[in-house]
Formats: sequence, C-alpha cells, structure tokens
Amino acid sequence: MSTQPYAGPESRTPGEAVKNWVHEELDPDQLSSGKLSYGRRKLGMGTLILFWGLRVYVLMMILLVGFQIWNAFSSGK
Amino acid sequence: MNRTPNGTSSQSVFLTSEDVKRARDRRHVRSHREGGRWWMVLWLLVGPGILVMLGENDGPSMISYAATGATYGIGFFLPFIALTFAMAFIVQEMTVRLGAVTKRGHAELIHERFGPFWGFFAMGDLVVGNLLTLVTEFIAIRAGLGFFGVPPALAVLGAFLLIVCIVSSQRYWTWERIVLSFAVFNVIFVPVAILAHPVSSAVVRSFFTWSPIAGGITTGFILLLMSNIGATVTPWMLFFQQSAVVDKGLTPIDIRHGRIDTALGAIIAAIAAIATVLATTPLFLHHVDASNFQGADFAKALIPYVGNIGATLFALGLFEAGIVAAITISLSSAYAFGEVTGHPHSMNSSIREAWPFYAILITAAGMAAVLVLIPNAPLVFITVIVNVIATLAMPPAIVFLLLLVNDREIMGEHANRGLSNFFGISVTVFLILAGIIFGISTVFPHLFASS
Repeated sequence: MSTQPYAGPESRTPGEAVKNWVHEELDPDQLSSGKLSYGRRKLGMGTLILFWGLRVYVLMMILLVGFQIWNAFSSGK
Repeated sequence: MNRTPNGTSSQSVFLTSEDVKRARDRRHVRSHREGGRWWMVLWLLVGPGILVMLGENDGPSMISYAATGATYGIGFFLPFIALTFAMAFIVQEMTVRLGAVTKRGHAELIHERFGPFWGFFAMGDLVVGNLLTLVTEFIAIRAGLGFFGVPPALAVLGAFLLIVCIVSSQRYWTWERIVLSFAVFNVIFVPVAILAHPVSSAVVRSFFTWSPIAGGITTGFILLLMSNIGATVTPWMLFFQQSAVVDKGLTPIDIRHGRIDTALGAIIAAIAAIATVLATTPLFLHHVDASNFQGADFAKALIPYVGNIGATLFALGLFEAGIVAAITISLSSAYAFGEVTGHPHSMNSSIREAWPFYAILITAAGMAAVLVLIPNAPLVFITVIVNVIATLAMPPAIVFLLLLVNDREIMGEHANRGLSNFFGISVTVFLILAGIIFGISTVFPHLFASS
C-alpha cells in the first residue's frame, strides 16, 4: 500500500509522488482526463424501429396527458 | 499501473482534485480489502444503492403508499409492493455493472453509443421528469413541515438552503454519508406502523394469499397498482445510480458489493413502504374517506389511531422523503447534464472546476422550490401528472439500459447472461404494459369504470 504523502486534494500542481500514487490507486479510465470514447454503435434496422416506436409512444402519451390537463382545466377542476 | 488508455506516461495526464479525492477513497477500500476486513469494505462501498432506493421512497411515493393503506388496508398490496422492489433491484443491479465496468454515467453512455440524437431525447425525458418530480418533493417538504406549523415559504427556503449546504461539501464521500444519514430516517414509518397495531397474522397471510382486495378490481385499484409501480421504478434512478457508482469509483471487483448495496436499499425501502401501508390501515378499518387527502392530511387523520407521536413521526417521514429525493434527483439532473455536455461532473470536483455542474444542481432545486411557492399553483395536479410522466418515460429508458448492458463491446464478461436477460426483459415488458394501462386509465378513466 502506498504511504506517499500528497499535496492535498485541492493542489493545483500535484507533485510526482501524488501523480504516481493517484495512478496506482485508480484504473486509467477512472481519471477525469483518461477516458477514451467507446465510439458509436451501429444501430440495426430493428433497433431504430424500436427507438422510433418508443418515441412515438412517448409523444402520443404526452399528447394524451396534455388532453387530460386541458380537460381538467376546462371542466373547472 | 502507470498507464493511460492512450499509452502516454502517467505524468502527462492532467490530475484534478476529483482524481485525488477518488484515489483517496480507493486507497481506503484497497487497504481494508487487503486486510480482510470485509465489513469495512462493505461499509465503504455501500451508498448509491441505498440512496437510490430510499430516494425513490419520495414524497409522492409515500403519499401513494399511505393512500394504498387507507383505501385497501392489509391484503394484496403488501406482497405486491415487495414484488415491485424486487423488480427495482433487477433493474438497478444492471446500472451497477454498467457504471463499474464502463466508468461512465448512463447519459454519457447513451450519448456515446447511440449518438447525440438519441442522447438528447433521453436527456430531455430525464430533465422534464426530474423538474416535475422535484416540485413534488418540495410539496412533500412543505406538507411535512406544515404539520408543525412551519410557513410554506420558510419550509421551502430552509430545505433549499439545506440542499445547497450539503452539496457544497465538494466531496462525494461526505455528501453521500450526510444524505445516507438523512435517508435512514425513511424507516421512521416503521414505529408508526407498530403504533397502528396491525394484526400480524393478517400481514403474514396476505404475503401467502395476495389477498384480500377490498372492493375487488376497480379503476381505483388499477390506478393505485400503477401508482405503486411508478413509486418504485423510475428513469432518474437509472441515471443517478450509474453516475453515483462512477463518482464513487467502483470497479468490476466491487460489483458484488454494489449488488449487496442495492439489495440492502431495496429491502430497507420495501420495509418502509410496507410500514407506511400498515400505518394508514386504521383509516381503512374505520372507514375514513382518504380519497382527497394530501400530504399532512394523513398525519392529522392518524392522530386518533397512532397518537400525536405517531402522527408527528409520519409528518417527519414525509419531510425526510421529500428532502432526500430532492437532493438525489437534482444531482441526477446535474450528472446527466455534465455527462452529455462534457463538463466536469463529479461531487468530488471543486466548485471552481465544475461550476456548471453545481449550477445545474442548485438551479434545478431552486426552480422547483420557486414553482411550489407560486400562489394557486396546481400542486395536486402536478403530483398526479408527475407519476404519469415518470411511468410513461420508463419504457425508452429501460430499453436503452437493456441494450447497453447487453453490449459485449463495452461490458465484456459482465454483459447480461440468459437469466439476467430473462428477468430484465420480463420487468421491461411488465413496466411497458403497466405504463400503457396507467396512461390509458388516467386519461380515459371511464374505460375501466365498469370493471
């Protein structure tokens, strides 16, 4: 286990010891500046149909909720 | 160990305070793990699962459980609530794996893997749902403190300042422990249930028989059924837990503890939810009409049956439910914003490093606080609509989740297997059907009126 002293969490210019210690403790992609993009996934026709279907579903339901709101207010509730 | 994804030396990577604080947390975990102190490892790693489950036992959820107890008493809904928390565990466990393996939040992964077009749709659903839900949390806070005579403006302002104080710790660990210490008060509904003197044999019998259903299956029964589902599994939970797992620094080796954390959260939250049903059962037994009850009305109506102490605990529980949910939901909005826009988004970041993240967090809570104080605002209506929108937004969110957790390119050996897919897809289909029925029955109640 590392017992290296470090400059403190707010250190703007962490020393070598801190850098080494942090890199020992964290996986490379846990570092805030160490993440690589996974890249876009190729979406098949089935997936796209599913996504659009769900979008239409949400849109329709929101319209229905909007209708209910209008109905509630127009009936003076 | 001194390696970065792009192969550069560790020294060339820019370190932030977020990295240093997270490394310090990981050092504690590793130290206790190497020392064989499993209970300390568990203590250090629990948090996101308990918080998300108790956070979802929020103001509208507790009011929904209270309405269930007052309308149906002991019977079908006790085992049904336990079932909904089992479903919540199945769904949330997937977010633990996603976060620990990919080290990315839910919004970030959707954005990255499915592109900005679908990413912004997911984000839009979340932001709208979260804002409305936050309003209902402040309604619960206002109602809970209103029982003690606290004026609405003071209650809302006090809660908002409390949220600001807690997030200003700029340290995930501190933030998490403070909110956990608030969240455990969710079990305050248990002593209220005990004071209500439920018949234990009836409680046990209901779990074996899933009955009785007082009055049979009616429109009201269907609405409460869907409302109880919406009180357990909602989109913000997916976004929050995955982001919190990443912020906490969990890695694949911690997945087992993440599961225990989530299971603990589900069990505690289920106990609190069932206790709330039991606490309001006297209203059912004494034929008190609770159909138009709001917030603190339940606490006041319970005084003859659970005494002033019980009613006070109930009102405190309502306040706790609102404040914990307001903290976690506003954070889930801020996480998602940072993940999609690329701004720093960690509770370990300093305000200077991640001011847009903190600004969104505080603005989300502030907007909800202001909306609650608008004179003659339709607060009851907002509470009802929030449940509808949360349930309706769940199918797209859960489909994104299932696609991501089955993506072997990013999940590798931690991708869903046959059994987890069976449970995951079953829950998805159930929620989609429930959402459709809930939406239809809410908008066209007459369709179910004859049943």
